[in-house]
Amino acid sequence: MLRRAIVRTRAVVGLAIAQLRRSPGRTALTVLAVTLAVLSVTVLASLGVGVVEKGEKGLDRANRDIWVSSDPVDPAASGTENPLVGAHGMAAEMTARDDVRTASPIAMYDVYVGPNASELERRPAVGVQKTHEGFDFRAGSGFAVDEEAAAGPPPDEPTTNEIVIDPRVADAMNVSVGETIAVGTSRQTAAAHEFTVVGTADYYSRYLSSPTVTMPLGDLQAIAGTSGTDRATFITVDVADDADRDAVASDLSEAYPEYDVRTSDEQVASMIEERTVVLASGATLVGLAVVGGVVLTANLFALVAHQQREQLAALRAIGLSRRVLAGTIGAQGLVIGLVGGIVGLAATPLAVLGLNRFSASVLGFENLLQTPLEVYLSGFALALVVGTVVAIVAGWRAGRYARIDHLEA
Amino acid sequence: MSKQSVRGSRSSARDRADERESATAVRLEGVTHEYGSTGGRFRSGDERTVTALRDVALDVPTGSIVGLEGPSGSGKSTVLHAVAGLLVPTAGSVELRGTDIAALSDAERTRLRRRHVGIVFQRFHLLPSLSARANVALPLVQSGVPRAARRDRATTLLEAVGLGDRTTHLPSELSGGERQRVAIARALSTDPDVIVADEPTGELDTATGQDVLELLTDVGRERAVLVASHDEATLAVADRVVTLCDGRVDDVR
Repeated sequence: MLRRAIVRTRAVVGLAIAQLRRSPGRTALTVLAVTLAVLSVTVLASLGVGVVEKGEKGLDRANRDIWVSSDPVDPAASGTENPLVGAHGMAAEMTARDDVRTASPIAMYDVYVGPNASELERRPAVGVQKTHEGFDFRAGSGFAVDEEAAAGPPPDEPTTNEIVIDPRVADAMNVSVGETIAVGTSRQTAAAHEFTVVGTADYYSRYLSSPTVTMPLGDLQAIAGTSGTDRATFITVDVADDADRDAVASDLSEAYPEYDVRTSDEQVASMIEERTVVLASGATLVGLAVVGGVVLTANLFALVAHQQREQLAALRAIGLSRRVLAGTIGAQGLVIGLVGGIVGLAATPLAVLGLNRFSASVLGFENLLQTPLEVYLSGFALALVVGTVVAIVAGWRAGRYARIDHLEA
Repeated sequence: MSKQSVRGSRSSARDRADERESATAVRLEGVTHEYGSTGGRFRSGDERTVTALRDVALDVPTGSIVGLEGPSGSGKSTVLHAVAGLLVPTAGSVELRGTDIAALSDAERTRLRRRHVGIVFQRFHLLPSLSARANVALPLVQSGVPRAARRDRATTLLEAVGLGDRTTHLPSELSGGERQRVAIARALSTDPDVIVADEPTGELDTATGQDVLELLTDVGRERAVLVASHDEATLAVADRVVTLCDGRVDDVR
């Protein structure tokens, strides 16, 4: 009995493959549909994995335990929002705590930079108290504001006049370390402020996905005219070695109820939450690709069953069981699902490679898409689901046609 | 025609020709069938029914060909379907090799049909994407015959119907007559005792129709063959012709 069942199953699969081989155009089209569905899932999944990993790595590299900010922080606006006020004072207060090693404010503005006041370009600027070893300077070195100045209120005029620029900005302006450039938040203020390029590095560019300049916080606030309110985007807090990160975060949250205090993990989660629309659109596109693949393939094989309804009815009359007849059509769907899945998985590394190149050259993020094993597994699982759904739908249609009632009298 | 005898295609193990010679392969007695009388539960009780057969009696001995003639709607196809066990008549008995098919379950009837009845359709009904050989081998899939044996059997049968050089051709690459011969080979694949053929030459021109009829005659030497047709040439190969009119046997000659 079992031997018969095996023979029958093998024959059904063999018949399905024979039928697929006889219609190469139809087979290629359906394989393509499944491939696209699988590819869209694996690519979006690798993007998701990559983005989360990048965010976590970035925060880890920044080596800050706690992030203090206030909504809305609109990351898409290149940090033109600086909702924290009295940043220097707050940072100093936090640093004074026993469980905090350092607290540093970060501000973000868009500025005009150029080799002179008549050739200006808009660039995002990040204001920090000092550069650190993570900057990985291409040329020159960083800057540091002395501790006294860092603790006090910001000056009205720039005092350090030093700037670190992205190597691409340096190339575009044709300037190198040691030369001076004009910097301002408007074309007018740019004419009044000269900064010396002390180094080139793309550290913050990678976070803001655009060539960025980095300058002392006080200087940036001075040219932006926010010295009075002492505005910043974040205050990052590094907890003392023996302190518990979550406990410090909750203490700070109580001390500054008007601000959001998040640990770096929560910060990643909140950054992702802020991109729900993007995520939703991505998920919708993937959903459409999957549904499209399933519908196209299932429909096509249901149509094949419909076209062959008289033959199916005749074969049923001859004595073939509905299961065998539905199997020959359904197995075609399953084979398509598997082949499409394998092609989709095989194409994933290529697509990821291409998109990573694109992201590296256009966005400045290297290896943004990551493909752990889970990504491939999810793609293959989808292929199996598509194959099974198609097999069931097509098989069910074929089974319905494989009735003697459909035989012409 | 360079074909072997189809008789040679019968497996020797099952060759019980002597026994078959005298046996009545098919016997219909008092068969009445009404369409619509076994309707679904949503039908009202006074649903009108169509009486397709009225008190039909018919014997088809092994080794003979019986022709069924009559105008459209006279019940020819219903008789064929009843003989093949595709329908159970409302009244009367249909015996296939001594077994009353009305007493069998659906599954048993299907099994009986698969083993003992070969069906030839007017419009061939070959699967277009399968080769001639795969089409002929198809009924053997259900019985769980291994692949190599299925191929051998199909090749032998195709050679027997004169299509030894067409085994890998698709139905679309064959002429109408060749397709019907493939369909006959398919009907013979399970080595049935009874062949029912519904207008087997209906789609063919006279010359190719003649080839198919010769083949059927050959088949009929060892089996019981029941052929429904309008065509005089087809009925001419029958040992006996039963004329149906309005579901009744009108004449036997």
